[in-house]
Amino acid sequence: MTKRISKFKRFVMMNPIIQFFKFIFLSLKVLLIVAGGHGSTREVHK
Amino acid sequence: MSKIVILGAGISGHVAASHLRRKLDKTHEVVVVSPNSNYQWIPSNIWVGIGRMKSKEILFPLAPLYKKKGIGFKQAKVTSFYPEGDNETEKPFVVAEYVSTEKRGETERITYDYLINATGPKLNFEATEGLNPGTNKAYSVCTYTHADHANEGLRALIAEMKKGNEAKIVIGTGHAKATCQGAAFEYILNVEQELRRQKVRDKAKITWISNEYELGDFGMDGMLLSYGSNIMKSHEMVEMVFEDRGIDWILGAGVNKIEDGLAHYETLNGEHKTIDYDFAMLIPSFSGHGFKAFDKNNNDITDKLFKGFMIVDADYTPKPYEDWTVQDWPETYQNPSYKNIFAPGIAFAPPHSISKPRKSPNGTEIFPSPPRTGMPSGITAKLVADNIIDSIKNKKESLHHKGSMGNMGAACIASAGFGMTKGSGVSITTFPIVPDYKKYPDTMGRKLGKTFGEIGLAGHWLKLMLHYAFIYKAKMKPFWYLIPE
Repeated sequence: MTKRISKFKRFVMMNPIIQFFKFIFLSLKVLLIVAGGHGSTREVHK
Repeated sequence: MSKIVILGAGISGHVAASHLRRKLDKTHEVVVVSPNSNYQWIPSNIWVGIGRMKSKEILFPLAPLYKKKGIGFKQAKVTSFYPEGDNETEKPFVVAEYVSTEKRGETERITYDYLINATGPKLNFEATEGLNPGTNKAYSVCTYTHADHANEGLRALIAEMKKGNEAKIVIGTGHAKATCQGAAFEYILNVEQELRRQKVRDKAKITWISNEYELGDFGMDGMLLSYGSNIMKSHEMVEMVFEDRGIDWILGAGVNKIEDGLAHYETLNGEHKTIDYDFAMLIPSFSGHGFKAFDKNNNDITDKLFKGFMIVDADYTPKPYEDWTVQDWPETYQNPSYKNIFAPGIAFAPPHSISKPRKSPNGTEIFPSPPRTGMPSGITAKLVADNIIDSIKNKKESLHHKGSMGNMGAACIASAGFGMTKGSGVSITTFPIVPDYKKYPDTMGRKLGKTFGEIGLAGHWLKLMLHYAFIYKAKMKPFWYLIPE
């Protein structure tokens, strides 16, 4: 086992208050990426 | 009035059926044909496989819902396709064999105006000798019953470890061409966390075995992603997580035989090796279902419909890896020979792999097949449904809705441990799924910002929220259609 995640980083990753805001941010970002549309690739490169 | 038949009631088939029923009036018939009596939210099988969720929490019976919503349901498996009809039946039809207890073994010709093949993959366990879930100490989490067995196996192992015995755990892919590395990735992290929770982590040696060339390939050739203020490759991110959790890895491994507690594999440099284990979870290869197709004179036309999976509007011309382009990927999922047949989700034949193909000196191809699970399955099913709806309403073929995996984003919210305060998730989004090297030449074919990674408790909450949201959506509860695919 090699420690690759610092104590501070781990604190940020597991702190419920910080992570609550991260959760809101992630939810919106995922929504924008996934619901942000999809389409053709063939027309784009014409 | 039109009859739309949907084969399969997984994510793709169920999404298509739901949208068709909502948007078409009741004069049009929507019929689902599936051998499964239950809908299951497959991404949560991971938690069933470690005993943190019951299988009943991830499934519900289809028949009552379909009856309530006016969707026909036949619990049957399709065996052959007759896209031109035959001498007895003028309309195109499929032959289905019932599997429900009351009609088991009976066959029926099911005619259609439009056919959506959303049969997904066949879990091809037999492609790997000895790989059969629940035997040889090897398990799967591909279905809820497999996940239940995996949990029983894991519980027994933990009991042994609590007695002081040490254990070897191997998790990854069970075939040289397997896909769905994401599920195995989630499972290994969840198992690792469960062992810590049970205070037996020090008794276990955990190894990741995969056909990937690098960690974090996930069948998508890896990705360059933004992680906080850094830009890193997915293999660096996964390596960081595995090292931090004390998980070893074996890459470029084509598992080809399983014996009791022993996995045989071939490496990319041609060596034949083995690894022993006390518990393994290995994802099998996926294959087509072996359907047959016939024309109206009963001549075999399987090659016109299938290439393993179903042929759609992709460019299947064989060409070198360097010549592959994102434009090869399908956009409408329509079969070119029979315009009223579509195959969204995993059921369509991909034009080529996304990961770079690699062979061992012995000629064995060892690389992941392309994934089409989860979000792409839902999105492609919805666009197929929308095109059929438009075609019916406009009374002419309409293919305005397009969705290439080369112009579509996806999110992989990989659980890394269960628990409202102790849980964790590795959230990775990617845009596009199939890299577009012309559009994004400097960022490995993907758009940075839309391709990012995050690790932490929020990822677990997000995955849990998606679990409840998608089951709500699948149950077609009020305003379900506002939840995106």
